[in-house]
Amino acid sequence: MAGRFELLSEQGLRLDGRRPHELRHIKCKMGVFEQPDGSAYMEQGNTKVLAAVYGPHQAKGKKTETNDVIINCQYSQATFSTSERKNRPRGDRKSQEFKMYLQQALSAAIKSELYPRSQIDVYVEVLQADGANYAVSLNAATLALIDAGICLNEFVVACTASLSKSNIPLTDISNIEEVSGGPKLTVAALPTAEKIAFLEMSERFHIDHLETVIETAMAGCREIRDILEAAVKEHLIHIGSAADWGRVC
Amino acid sequence: MQTLREFTRKTKRGNILKIVREHYLRDDIGCGSDICQHCFQNDVYALTADHDLQSSLFKYPHYLVLDTNVVLDQIDVLEEDVLRNVIILTTVLNEVKHKSSSIYKRINEIIHDRRRNFYVFVNEHHKDTYADREPDETANDRNDRAIRIATKWYDNHLKSSQVSKSFQRSGRQVTRVVLLTDDAGNRAKAEAEDILVATASEYVKSLSDHPLLADKLSHKTFANEKQALPQYPPHLSLREILEGLKQKKLLQGSFQASRENYLEGNVNVEQYEKGILIQGRESLNRAVDGDIVAIELLPQSEWSAPSEIVLEEKNVYADDLPSEERTEEEKVMLQQVRAAAVVDAERTPTGRIVGIVRRKWRQYCGILQPSLIEDTSRHIFVPADRKIPRIRIETRQAATLQNQRIIVTIDNWPRNSRYPHGHFVRSLGPLGDMNTENEVILLEHDVPHCKFSEEVLSFLPKMPWTITPEDYAKRVDLRDLYICSVDPPGCTDIDDALHCRELENGNLEVGVHIADVSHFIRPGNALDKEAAARGTTVYLVGKRIDMVPELLSSNLCSLVGGVERFAFSCVWEMDKEANIIKKRFHKSVIKSKRAMTYEEAQVLIDDSTQDNEIAKSLRHLNRLAKILKKRRMDNGALVLASPEIRFQVDSETHEPLEVEVKQLRDTNSMVEEFMLLANISVAEHIAAEFSECAVLRRHPKPPTTNFDPLIKAARYQGFEIETETGLSLSHSLDKCVKADNPYFNTMIRILTTRCMMQAVYFISGSLQKEEFFHYGLAAPIYTHFTSPIRRYSDIMVHRLLAASIGADSTYAQLLERKSNEELCHNLNYRHKMAQYAGRASVGLNTHLFFRGKEEDEEGYVLFVRKNALQVLIPKYGLEGTLYLKTDKDGKDGHERAKSTVVFTFSEEDHTQRCGNVVFHSFDPVTVRLSLDSSNVQHEKLVFRLVKPYIKGFSVETGSESAADVAAPPPTKKTKKNQKKK
Amino acid sequence: MSVNATISLALDRVDWNALAGNQEKLPRVFTPGEVLMPEAGFMRGHGTFVEDENIKASVAGVIEKVNKLISVRPLKSRYVGEIGDVVVARVIEVQQKRWRVDTNSRLDSVLLLSSVNLPGGELRRRSAEDEQMMRQYLDEGDLISAEVQNIFEEGTLSLYTRSLKYGKLSQGILVKVFPALVKRRKMHFHNLSCGASVILGNNGYIWISPTKNEDQEGGEGGFAQNLSEVVPRHEREIIARVRNCILALAKCKLMLYDTSIQYAFEESLKYDVHELLQQHVIYDIGEQTQARLRDADE
Repeated sequence: MAGRFELLSEQGLRLDGRRPHELRHIKCKMGVFEQPDGSAYMEQGNTKVLAAVYGPHQAKGKKTETNDVIINCQYSQATFSTSERKNRPRGDRKSQEFKMYLQQALSAAIKSELYPRSQIDVYVEVLQADGANYAVSLNAATLALIDAGICLNEFVVACTASLSKSNIPLTDISNIEEVSGGPKLTVAALPTAEKIAFLEMSERFHIDHLETVIETAMAGCREIRDILEAAVKEHLIHIGSAADWGRVC
Repeated sequence: MQTLREFTRKTKRGNILKIVREHYLRDDIGCGSDICQHCFQNDVYALTADHDLQSSLFKYPHYLVLDTNVVLDQIDVLEEDVLRNVIILTTVLNEVKHKSSSIYKRINEIIHDRRRNFYVFVNEHHKDTYADREPDETANDRNDRAIRIATKWYDNHLKSSQVSKSFQRSGRQVTRVVLLTDDAGNRAKAEAEDILVATASEYVKSLSDHPLLADKLSHKTFANEKQALPQYPPHLSLREILEGLKQKKLLQGSFQASRENYLEGNVNVEQYEKGILIQGRESLNRAVDGDIVAIELLPQSEWSAPSEIVLEEKNVYADDLPSEERTEEEKVMLQQVRAAAVVDAERTPTGRIVGIVRRKWRQYCGILQPSLIEDTSRHIFVPADRKIPRIRIETRQAATLQNQRIIVTIDNWPRNSRYPHGHFVRSLGPLGDMNTENEVILLEHDVPHCKFSEEVLSFLPKMPWTITPEDYAKRVDLRDLYICSVDPPGCTDIDDALHCRELENGNLEVGVHIADVSHFIRPGNALDKEAAARGTTVYLVGKRIDMVPELLSSNLCSLVGGVERFAFSCVWEMDKEANIIKKRFHKSVIKSKRAMTYEEAQVLIDDSTQDNEIAKSLRHLNRLAKILKKRRMDNGALVLASPEIRFQVDSETHEPLEVEVKQLRDTNSMVEEFMLLANISVAEHIAAEFSECAVLRRHPKPPTTNFDPLIKAARYQGFEIETETGLSLSHSLDKCVKADNPYFNTMIRILTTRCMMQAVYFISGSLQKEEFFHYGLAAPIYTHFTSPIRRYSDIMVHRLLAASIGADSTYAQLLERKSNEELCHNLNYRHKMAQYAGRASVGLNTHLFFRGKEEDEEGYVLFVRKNALQVLIPKYGLEGTLYLKTDKDGKDGHERAKSTVVFTFSEEDHTQRCGNVVFHSFDPVTVRLSLDSSNVQHEKLVFRLVKPYIKGFSVETGSESAADVAAPPPTKKTKKNQKKK
Repeated sequence: MSVNATISLALDRVDWNALAGNQEKLPRVFTPGEVLMPEAGFMRGHGTFVEDENIKASVAGVIEKVNKLISVRPLKSRYVGEIGDVVVARVIEVQQKRWRVDTNSRLDSVLLLSSVNLPGGELRRRSAEDEQMMRQYLDEGDLISAEVQNIFEEGTLSLYTRSLKYGKLSQGILVKVFPALVKRRKMHFHNLSCGASVILGNNGYIWISPTKNEDQEGGEGGFAQNLSEVVPRHEREIIARVRNCILALAKCKLMLYDTSIQYAFEESLKYDVHELLQQHVIYDIGEQTQARLRDADE
């Protein structure tokens, strides 16, 4: 029984009872804070993330000269987010990496030409880590950006995918599946445009499988996008209705 | 489709972590029954309404739900094709997986057999059958409850489908669901919850049509033993063991029973180099060879030394209770040993077993011991492996099983039973039958040898097979070259062929053409998986267990003469001094001009009148091979020797007729040289192309201590063996020549061989480059490329090579380090087992050969031991022990005392002296070989000294010795033949 | 002194969404990337972009059509200034001939020295002396009220205070809310009947101060600050109550304008000022105010 653990039972169910293509249960909420310009809370299964957006505001320091928007991200994982307590919530290599990746993916979505000499700060805090931390963080950040009214090309969402031993692709990898040794692929995409903003693999995939795994992750992205979109609309209806659509009518 | 209810599970481990995991419950899991009218069935119906099993307990059609303990204990019953319509719950499956991976594998095989109608129901994720763990509930109780809930649910679920009017009109009986459990508590609760329930044995016994099935039931207790007094100290619980290990009061290791003495064993513990000795029945405390045990070290004053006594258990009978007498006998033995140990000062750490961490019981081959009482169902089983204790079983077929080799498995070993309890699994066939004996060898060495399944065969090319124009287009056409193959006589799986021709620039083109097996075996299909599992072809005497079906091994892949075949070619351009100028690899079509034996090839080379292309080509090859060999030797490659023999086997009775030592000709070494060259060239190539996942073979340098016996033995003869490097070793071996003993050098080399490590397959990414070294061949890198028909490693290498030159596409598994590592692991294991099996087969045939024969043979003393001489008989490649002293031979101790012949052992120069006869290592002797068949399971070859003659010890030559033949002197009775390792 | 702290359980959370109930007519909302309509014949405005010959939304919000100009207005965003808007702003830096001020917009805004009324008459020339005196007029941290005079190319707002009603703010409280919550009206300076004055900056900054006498207001062109005058306790309480009411309305996502604040203030009278920080009280005020506003509309 050495080596990789089988992620998919012969009955076609994964360790937590999902079928290969199923996402985890997603819950999300926008506008959870008053202070920042935009904020969101997102749960994907047991991975729980808070995101806050400040800006766009005047870029500080020398960066003022550049005409592009500066996207400043911070990824931090609460010390209590994993089953074994983390020592450093941020600043470790993984967090630094994620921060870069967040910036990379978000800059693909934000209409940067509209924000010269500006800066957007995105703060992400993982409260509970149960796999696909980066993907959920990005999804939460997207919601927070939308909440802040920042112009985007479209939703930028991320999803993970893996491959079972029997070469069936699996969507939205949970922590247990991650640590059980399956390969992990993370895709951040603009689903409508079918553009990939960011892609990361935990190990090499064979070229024969890469395409199907990416397609699985993309399908997951599309599904997440639809869920987020519905959530955004619902949120808008709620706040808009409260004010009787204020200036609209 | 998906109910999004979330559940949490908490598990604790180590420093207590709370782990919360999601657990999705679903409403789309079908019940798998064709009766059901509710479920969405995503599967073909596994459970049917047809029911032909008559049970006197449940007189209506029913499905069975099995409890975990039933699966674990009664797997042999389940494997019989009797029970059908069985529901396996995932709760049960997970528990089984956790407890025993081998049983898990077996139950899975049953489940996969569609005809058996086993259905796996994912009760853990079904919304109605999930059981949340309640506070204060143990995991076990929770699982039991989950099983009951699922059973109940099934019963109700099916009932609800069987109430319709149309069903009632059909007049069929309502199918119910029955729970089988051997857990009394679970059973009682199930009864309270109105679940139909029975124990496995009740149920099996209620099946009137299958009376023999009861034999396969696992027994926890035997009726007459219930009141018997405990004979063993109790085992500690697992928790106590863990606690003890933590506090360093206990030690853990794997138990190895002694082959010679059933009351002795050894536990390999990390900190103790030699392991810890266990002596006496109570200290052994029911451990069986291979078990992982926990032991307690005895105080140093009680340490003992391994007895050199051979002690075999006498026959006992099933209904015997242990007699006072025997206990007494054992005590005497122990005392003797201890007394000896004090003097000996060879005392080693001694301990006693206090608990079992993990049982490593498997199935054992053996025979039934004839019973004194007729018509009893209780019997004693004697395993073939002497390290395994006798096993008590219950069977009603004793009469038919007498004189058959049978397989038995151990169920448990209660404190009050002298022997473990087991049950009969199956019979292999009559004792002494060649097929049965081969089967035993294959089973004991875990060689997969069943017929290729239909599915596997379906991936074979359809006959008649022809080469298509596309094939020609993809391959280099080498049909015009003078390619020929050289192999041993009678070889049908020819996987290599050679050619050599002169080029216009004066250089030579040498080609090695290997059967293109990977063309026929596509990755991932059943054929490939089967080949990967088998790993290698196993050669027994007169029998070959193929790795790939015969159509491939002896026909399509075999490079027979005059037929067009696909090959993978490795072609070099060399100058006359055998320096490689260019090399290339490509797939090709070849047409071997001739398939020759080594002898034929040799004749062709030597016969100067022959001047055809083949002869020329062979002569070139031969000349190049000699240069290559010399170069290799200069690099420090070792010439090793191991006595190899061939049996001429009677084609009808499969009994050996003649023994001959394999002869080595120039041509053998010629072929070998080019195979080595091809392997090395390919190894370099794939290691460069696939730095992470190339399959290579390495041979580690043995640790210097391994050479100690060799250095000592040589020193007594006045030779120094240098073991610093392969080169110095090789040189010093060359110097070991004695004019008066032509076989001396060979013997030294045989000894050297035994110092070596096993060569193993590995994956390039898993080791540092320096560790790739092949010690024996003195090659920095090596792999196996040249025998894809009989080795799976070569198929993998072929695929890698094909991918690297663009002749074939890669696939995921090929480039994955982990899965390749697993494969290598299996290949190494199979390879080792195949070797052992081959040797066992030779041993078996040697015995058969000597049956009823008695021969005097020339031999050499290989080692001089304290009480014996290790004798090698070159003619048969046979090695055995000639005992000089029998005083360590327990039973015959007093007889020995009378003997007047006394041997004196000298520590200094390792000699045995008796009167004026002195035995040195490597001295020639003549011994008489005969077969001792007094034990039907363990026939032994007996060595007796003929020359030099020692009165009162040597057998008398000439006619008067005939009397001895019939009844060998008792002093020789327990000598055993040791096969070389 | 004992302090009463109210800690509510997460379980007793107030469901803010309930305020959104009973809406018959819901406008269509769009999310980023969603197609609004084909480009042909329309002009794209804020919150939209053109891709593949379609006008798409770039923010989440409601569509606004002015003739052929299509724009999508997010329900929440940074302040996007328009000429003529009243803003409350804070000075963050004194520069050459201008102040840099924070108006909660994307970029910092500027207040040119030439856009303020200097003491000594409207038509006075700006001398070099004035430049040195800038810090005396407005220092870092000072709050001002102003109007958007101009929008520079990159979106920087230029403010002016050359009206008596604008200028430096004296004693009072600043409240920040989302700009979208401030209703765009003609009047942004209100003297509430309850006795406090509010400046509802379009940028979401709201200034609450004690109501001054008519003659005092903005009299000196806006650089005087009277910090020595003691505002009586009851006035301070009113100011505090107004602040809490505004925050309550903001929390409930209700629009802020004089009437809504007035209603909220009246509804709040049944609570103590400090109670107005409690979630259910906020909810109650929101609900009552909403009901009254709806009644008033009908």
